[in-house]
Amino acid sequence: MSVNLTCKLNDHHLDRHQGSSQRQLAIAVSASSASNSCNAPLNLCLVLDHSGSMGGQPLEMVKRAAQDLVDQMYPQDRVSVIGFDHKAKVVVENQLVERITSIKEKIQSLKASGGTCIDEGIKMGLQETSKGKDGTVSQLFVLTDGENEHGDNERCFQFSRLATEYNMTLHSLGFGDSWNQDVLERIADAGGGAMAYIPSPEAAGAEFQKLLKRVQAISLTNAYLILQLAPHVRLAELKPIAQVAPDTIELSYQTEGDAIIVRLGDLMTDVERVVLVNLYISPASYIASCQDSPEIPILSAQVRYDIPSQGQINTLSPSVAISAELVQELHPQVDPQVQNYVLALAKYRQTQLAEQKLQEGDRSGAATMLQSAAKTALQMGDQNASTILQNNATRLQSGTLLSEADRKKTRIASKTVLQTPNEPNA
Amino acid sequence: MITCPNCAHSNPDGAVNCEACFTPLPIVKSVQCPSCNATVLSDAKFCGHCGFNLSTSKVGSHPLEVNLGSDPHDPSPTVNLSTEVIPVIPISNDMSNSLPDETTESNAAANLAANSPELQIVPNMYEEGLVVAVEPSTTPVSIPANIPASLSAKTQLQQFAASLLHVQTDLTIEIPPHLPVIHIGKPNTLIPPDIDVSGFPDSDIVSRIHADIRAEGGSFYFEDTGSSNGSYINNLPLAVGNRHKLRAGDRISLGKGDKVSFIFQLNS
Repeated sequence: MSVNLTCKLNDHHLDRHQGSSQRQLAIAVSASSASNSCNAPLNLCLVLDHSGSMGGQPLEMVKRAAQDLVDQMYPQDRVSVIGFDHKAKVVVENQLVERITSIKEKIQSLKASGGTCIDEGIKMGLQETSKGKDGTVSQLFVLTDGENEHGDNERCFQFSRLATEYNMTLHSLGFGDSWNQDVLERIADAGGGAMAYIPSPEAAGAEFQKLLKRVQAISLTNAYLILQLAPHVRLAELKPIAQVAPDTIELSYQTEGDAIIVRLGDLMTDVERVVLVNLYISPASYIASCQDSPEIPILSAQVRYDIPSQGQINTLSPSVAISAELVQELHPQVDPQVQNYVLALAKYRQTQLAEQKLQEGDRSGAATMLQSAAKTALQMGDQNASTILQNNATRLQSGTLLSEADRKKTRIASKTVLQTPNEPNA
Repeated sequence: MITCPNCAHSNPDGAVNCEACFTPLPIVKSVQCPSCNATVLSDAKFCGHCGFNLSTSKVGSHPLEVNLGSDPHDPSPTVNLSTEVIPVIPISNDMSNSLPDETTESNAAANLAANSPELQIVPNMYEEGLVVAVEPSTTPVSIPANIPASLSAKTQLQQFAASLLHVQTDLTIEIPPHLPVIHIGKPNTLIPPDIDVSGFPDSDIVSRIHADIRAEGGSFYFEDTGSSNGSYINNLPLAVGNRHKLRAGDRISLGKGDKVSFIFQLNS
């Protein structure tokens, strides 16, 4: 019923004479495990692409994975399934996970044919999910294998954002190699959820299970981080706030009065969401107003959240304040954990810049950025990402094009810390 | 404004990591150039505004003081003037390492004794065998008094003259002395070049409006004026719009690959 909120600066010493110092603040938020015992029921909606390209083994494995998912759910959970091609239809209506056999039969009835209109699928998914959203943790898994040929990507992002306003979270799963990683990433980011990559049909089951475990750990929803900055502190101009763990997501923020509000979304028990805030602090101006203070306050942070299992909304956590120490002579002392978060964000940003350059046609620039991203990954100990990024950089430099599978892997590598695969070189 | 070496995003002062790509930024503080008081970065070797050599100013400041202290009065060097009208070349070679010229009064003198017409300073250098210039406080005070005495019919303003030696063909091109700006390129209708390189081999790598050399106060500045293949000074790329102060022996390459190169030389 409560949150764990901790703040840490990357270097909590500040030179008292400097006009402006840059610091990064890592804010870690999670639901405390005391509330795990009575988690709210899950309200899961699967939005599955059954376009013609999914024919044969792909669709069969996806159906199997969906059916396995239903097996892992609890009787008080709700489930619904939407199938879409260029139109959407409800395959399993929003219902409690009771008549499992009939649910599985309906899933089995999906056939592969037609085009792809993702926004129709999402729209119907939202409609179906909202039928059971009171008092539940509402989540949508949107799976597609291709481009949104018959649909409009902008509508997808709008629906995704709309979902969060109704306290529903969208996750996107890309199946195979023909989907657009930019579109699916934006859908996941806008919907407050994760992005997953299913490289081959066999991997579908594992990815579904991974995502299910994650959403089953959610106990608090609709979380917002509220920051009050001290007067001599300001946010950096370019993208000052971003989530760095478990996935890297650029966050937008609103100002209400002198408070900064950032939407976090769902909070899982004991899996932390870490947000990195890039700040500029002016010790000189602080000293001018109140000299001789050894400490300088930076900001105070608070979380506002809903507790679905208790039907409570807009609960406020106690406020946590963080300050820095003023010293005469600065000897940089960087906190290794915060430094790791900074590197995670650096890896993501550098890979994104490389993608941008690639799209502009600057191959050598993209290769250089990928190399620095690979170095960053190595510095933070993410060997898998480093290998992938370095391979891509080398291929770009030697003049070969990156395959679609490579680009998906790169996007996932930049966004998350990859787990060691069970099989060698998946 | 600190520019990120990785992604070229300009960050506000005080940034430690680039806002865009989070690569660690080199921490450089701003110091003041001792000669012209402009703000320069602490790791810069030369002041971008006046060309003052920042590295020797830190090294040579002591010997400078000492020598000036023991400096005999100015009349004696000026007496030598007539005999030492000066082989500019040896001095300019020495001078090419440095030259903090700081006469705040006369900016002309400030710009580089290597080519400087101010004879008064030159013999001092030669006298002391020192490569650093004289403190402003002493020279202007004593020199004007000595000018009438020292100026004889022989002394004239030195004509600074420079030439470009084309490396690939071993031809020397004189830099026209009376022009303030000398354009380098190939024939075109917009800015016809004063130095036309179209006759040289591999000149297709050179743009029609490639670069220019300016003569200001006795020094020469090279600038790439928007060429397609770029310009290189001593094999380091020179960004468009950056004026490089030329020293004797500098290698100017037009375009990549060192195909059309010149060595900047000063004549006597």
